[in-house]
Amino acid sequence: MRPRTALIRLGVDIGEFTDPAGAVERAVEAERLGYDYVLAASTEGGLDAWALLSWTAARTERIGLVAAGLDVAEIRPAVLARAAGSLDVLGKGRVTLELRPGPAAAEAVTVLRRMWDTSQRRVHHDGAFRLAGAEPGPLPAHDVRIWIGGDDPNAVKVAADAADGWRAGVPGQDSRQLARTMQLLAKALAEAGRDERELDRVVTLPDTVGAQDVETLASLVTEHGVTTFVLRVDERSPADALERFAREVAPRLNEAAQHAMTEGRFSPVPMRRAEVRAQRVPGIDYDGLPANLAATAVEPGDLLYPTTRSTYLRGGAPGLVLRPQTVDDVVDAVAFAHRHRHVPLGIRSGGHGISGRSTNDGGLVIDLGALNAIEVLDEDRRLVRIGPGARWRDVARALQPYGWALGSGDYGGVGVGGLATSGGIGYLSRKHGLTIDHLQAVDMVLADGSTVRASHAENPELFWAVRGAGAGFGIVTGFEFTVDEVSDVGWAQLAFWVADPADFLLKFGAAVTAAPRETTPFLIMNSSSAQVMAMVATDDPDEILAQLRPIAQIAPLVQQQVVVAPYAAVMNMFPDAPHQGRGEPVSRSGLVTSITPEFAEDSARLLASGAVHWFQLRSMGGAIADVAPEETAFAHRDAAFQITAMGSHPQRVDRWWNELRKHFSGIYLNFESDTSPQRVAEAFPPPVLSRLRKLKAELDPTGLFRDNFTLAENPVGRTA
Amino acid sequence: MTDYGHELLFGTFVTPTAQPVRHAVEQAVVADRAGLDLVTFQDHPYVARFHDTWTLIAYAAARTERVRLTANVTNLPLRPPAQLARSVATLDRLSGGRIELGLGAGGHWDAIASMGGRRLRPGESIEALEEAVQIIRGVWDTDTRGGLTLEGKYYSVRGMKRGPAPAHRPGIWIGAYKPRILRTIGRIGDGWLPSYQYLPNGPDHLASGSAIIDEAAESVGRDPRDIRRLLNITGEFAETSRGFLQGPPDQWVEELTDLALTYGTSVFVLVSDDTTTTEVFAKEVAPAVREEVQRERAAQPTG
Repeated sequence: MRPRTALIRLGVDIGEFTDPAGAVERAVEAERLGYDYVLAASTEGGLDAWALLSWTAARTERIGLVAAGLDVAEIRPAVLARAAGSLDVLGKGRVTLELRPGPAAAEAVTVLRRMWDTSQRRVHHDGAFRLAGAEPGPLPAHDVRIWIGGDDPNAVKVAADAADGWRAGVPGQDSRQLARTMQLLAKALAEAGRDERELDRVVTLPDTVGAQDVETLASLVTEHGVTTFVLRVDERSPADALERFAREVAPRLNEAAQHAMTEGRFSPVPMRRAEVRAQRVPGIDYDGLPANLAATAVEPGDLLYPTTRSTYLRGGAPGLVLRPQTVDDVVDAVAFAHRHRHVPLGIRSGGHGISGRSTNDGGLVIDLGALNAIEVLDEDRRLVRIGPGARWRDVARALQPYGWALGSGDYGGVGVGGLATSGGIGYLSRKHGLTIDHLQAVDMVLADGSTVRASHAENPELFWAVRGAGAGFGIVTGFEFTVDEVSDVGWAQLAFWVADPADFLLKFGAAVTAAPRETTPFLIMNSSSAQVMAMVATDDPDEILAQLRPIAQIAPLVQQQVVVAPYAAVMNMFPDAPHQGRGEPVSRSGLVTSITPEFAEDSARLLASGAVHWFQLRSMGGAIADVAPEETAFAHRDAAFQITAMGSHPQRVDRWWNELRKHFSGIYLNFESDTSPQRVAEAFPPPVLSRLRKLKAELDPTGLFRDNFTLAENPVGRTA
Repeated sequence: MTDYGHELLFGTFVTPTAQPVRHAVEQAVVADRAGLDLVTFQDHPYVARFHDTWTLIAYAAARTERVRLTANVTNLPLRPPAQLARSVATLDRLSGGRIELGLGAGGHWDAIASMGGRRLRPGESIEALEEAVQIIRGVWDTDTRGGLTLEGKYYSVRGMKRGPAPAHRPGIWIGAYKPRILRTIGRIGDGWLPSYQYLPNGPDHLASGSAIIDEAAESVGRDPRDIRRLLNITGEFAETSRGFLQGPPDQWVEELTDLALTYGTSVFVLVSDDTTTTEVFAKEVAPAVREEVQRERAAQPTG
């Protein structure tokens, strides 16, 4: 395997094979050897490159897929854009297109890019290609780069003007000829006002290339900034052709690239086009981003920005979204954040957080979505390791075959990290406790960039803090949970007609308090109707109905559905869509130890006011209360219900919500959007808060992690 | 009663939804594991929320073992025929002969034009389809010496290099309802692939359509048995009967057996994006229909 620090990029061209299976074998071998690209061009009478690469995408994990020699006179660019978007999402962001030069190639580049810009509704285009209102999309998984292949002046000009890369047409051509063409390219780039590092410069080599050619090739790197070498192989190539090239030639080319980089002529990650760079936010050191982070970062001019910028409920416009792929990347991201204390910092696992602090305006976001592995560590102990970027729906799916589940919240699209560092009040909570009650250990990156493990045995104070206030202490890169054996469950959706909301709340409270632990009902209501979604953690239909009956009798039912289903089916009930929140969410949380008549009356007035459009009670108690308050930083073990209200206008909501505050024993931060210190004080009782602050002063004295609910007494720096 | 004596095949018709990204692929894997014969995806290149169908087929083919795959049906106006032929042949060889070619003349012309496709009248689109089939078969035919030349009204190739040859002869199954294109199927097609829900006169249309196909086939000296009769079907498994293909699996078995024996339908392609439906179809319907039809055929041998 080539080291990840390799600068020069290697490819293999498999388009000349007549046997497609042999071609795929070479692609798989190239991936194993650490090559960066597999490339194929269609020819008359030969294999279809797109089919070959699409198949290869399903048989490989990482290697880039270059569909070369695409003739836009034959394949319509709008259809090609669709196919490329598809292959890019199926293959997880690995596609590059290379167009044949032609009179309309530059126009095709424009059309392709417009077809991927999903922030517009329709694409109209007049010219060589007429588009009469085509729907843009699918959105590729990454910025698909477009190369132009060919040696003639037209190809060079189109590449320099419009493309992201250029590839020499003839393999193994005379290097002096190649040098002349590349001079032409450099000149055309200068004329177009572009930085040469914006362009991938690719040379295809015959399989006869070897150690004797090393110096010639190295000079192409140092003199002409060639970024990528593609070795063309077919059935007749030596069996060790790829291996030898990687071993004998690539290291020297890499040295040459290192040299070119110090001269500012080589960029380890292709530089973005000028029009994209123009949208950058001042004050962020984009060019100082380490290559590993730059490779996957998203910035305002990027294709992925429209679907990355916002979270579930909050509109955002971050200046840079970092998407670490490894723990080392997270360490680098934290170091980068340290250099950017003047802009907000959001940490995102799933982007579902109600406060919306996983996006911001003009700041950094560290998006942990790629750290989403789910791994069973010890089947006997039901010990499972989960990355912060996994979604709970995926966790549920992964555990189902074992007959296991880990309770989370009420929606499978939520990410693991934000929930599992705070609490996790879900449908299995009364039976099995909070999500954090299952935690055995975490691996974290702290504010100073160090990595630590915290568990009952190691760093127990941090382990205590992570379970309820984790967001203030660092970034968890791995959670280890002991999960529960969970059979199929009863799942009920009951809709009620509500004449008297206060009375309904009182009866609901009484029914839940009397209910066995298996039953965890959540209530959503307004002033005239109510919906209860309840899980009964047993697969015995009679028992399910028996436990639900007291709840079903609270008020007249207008609709009811009860099924026995796997827990994973409940978590996967609602599909995922890209987060496109707008504006600022207004959400309030409160915890109550019981539903008193006074609380019910005040709640009914809130519902009647019309100030909130969402009002939910989550049942707690049961196993949650089995844990002593001092065990975890989430200390409200006596709470019987968690109340959430959402509205549009903070003042209107608070006018009524403030009437309820006297009933609360605390709040749960994950449903609160008011980040003021007062809320933090309500979330953590005084002894807990002072204990957290002491640890905060030790582990994050400068308050790097400050943009959600800040634990520092005198918060420094800006908040989002 | 018409029965062309074809081996029965059962498949699914899967929405090529791009979100969740791998849902359609997973449905193909489900069909493959459940033992179905065929997975098909609709092809509407103008719909952005769908995957590109032939990209999806390639990816799904690489993730499955036994099942055959095709578009249902390929939108010819947006798919250049020579490239389509090379794509099908490449995938057919990669997959060990598991690719078929469902083909359609095109329908939603505004949508086709929105993507830069040429707007054709129905008659023209059928002429274009006939030319395309010649080019496709010409590309696949590597036994004939010399390049491929066709000076068509819609597609032209001059001395095009033939190949690659597919691993098996992919069936060209054409989506059609009206007489003119049915006659085209009779002359040059390998299969007729309508959807039950769009049949103008319900199942009777299967008989009248087949009669047109058979007559056209015979007029050019073909055996009507060279043309498979396929059918896309929509249904729902339910505990009690609520209508055609809406009821328990036993009811489905009876209804599909009847279609097979009455109209000679030999490929049933069920619209399903759902694992349970696909598995019930594969395990409780397909084998039973096969068995019933075999029993009837044995009892009453037909040509």
